Amino acid sequence: MDPASPVRRHYAKLAQNLLSLEDRVRSMVVTSPETGAGCSSVCIGLGAALAEMGKRVVVVDCNLGRPNLHRMLGEPNFIGLTSCLQSGRALENYGHDLVPGLLAVPTGPVSSDPVARIESQRFVEVVRGIEAHRDIVILDAPVAEKVIESPALSSQFDGVLLVIHASRTSKNTAREVTDDLLDAGVNLLGVVLNGAGESV
Amino acid sequence: MISIIVLSLLIVGLTFALLRERAYTAEAIVLVEPQQEVPAEDMEPFLRDVTGAVTSSEDFIVDVRRKAGWKGTPEEFARRLDVQSLVTSDGTPTIRVRFESVDAEEAARTANAYAALFTERVDLLNDRQLAGGALAADARVASKASLPDRPSGAGPLFYVAGAIVAGMLIGGGMALLLENRARSWRDARDAELTLRAPVLGVIPEYPSAEEV
Repeated sequence: MDPASPVRRHYAKLAQNLLSLEDRVRSMVVTSPETGAGCSSVCIGLGAALAEMGKRVVVVDCNLGRPNLHRMLGEPNFIGLTSCLQSGRALENYGHDLVPGLLAVPTGPVSSDPVARIESQRFVEVVRGIEAHRDIVILDAPVAEKVIESPALSSQFDGVLLVIHASRTSKNTAREVTDDLLDAGVNLLGVVLNGAGESV
Repeated sequence: MISIIVLSLLIVGLTFALLRERAYTAEAIVLVEPQQEVPAEDMEPFLRDVTGAVTSSEDFIVDVRRKAGWKGTPEEFARRLDVQSLVTSDGTPTIRVRFESVDAEEAARTANAYAALFTERVDLLNDRQLAGGALAADARVASKASLPDRPSGAGPLFYVAGAIVAGMLIGGGMALLLENRARSWRDARDAELTLRAPVLGVIPEYPSAEEV
């Protein structure tokens, strides 16, 4: 992250808050009530802030229905998570080192039936596998509704971070989604208010 | 939001209460009794027939206005006049005549004029129809309208209280609705209270190019 970036300190604070949670978080699913809340930005910003604190972090785009991470990185989506799921090699081989300590893994080529790939045992094993080499795994996930529907994303990792956008996410929708996540038994780590005014 | 709406309605209510003319209502009672025995269940139709026979005549209401010395329009007169035909609990067919006016004396005078003319017309109909033997009713003024000593209707306090209650209900409802539909989160506290979940971070709006 650019040291001069005006949002750097905000991500640093988010990272600190996350690390100070009572239960240690090794893998987290980052989702939002609707598309456009800025999940991928938060994943990268948070990953960079954690890496700056000396953590080894990997951000994995597992939103196979709507890949976005590669666009943010300005990289083609030729290889990534799906390549790893097919090949059997470690996920580390399919990412891009953004800054020291931060690896970003795009979805890779998306074929039909992306849900089946995320729901496969192999996906959970891949994430578990990379946890051995990284301190924190951040999963850039689809919208919350899909996360709730996915047994893998909703229950196989340490918790869910919900991103809401200050001017795009309606309060009603956010409240409903939060209730749905809690009703589904998801461990809701907390909320990130993205796109807020500078005064906030 | 609530306070703005309450204040607006309070001003409207207060203005209405202060500008609204305080009217007086006078009431006269006319009893209509059949000359022959009428079964209780037929009393209402009987009263309706008598009332209809009297008031359906076009010149009746014109004569009432003239007798009362009414200076306004016929529409205004009709708006202020309230005539009810009813059979009381003891089975007495009754005509209740009410007239509302800003002038107490005019209110009483007009109610009495209507009542008096009504009885006169019933007598007239009796005389005319005796030959045919159809209608047989006696009408008499049982209670003349007296001069009302205070204005009728609700006072200013009623409207002010109504405005406050309505303002709170409407304002509260609108505030709740707007809050639910709002796409604007004030701050982390707002998000925590709304979602009942901890806010771990607040990221300000920024151009994406600045991000990494």
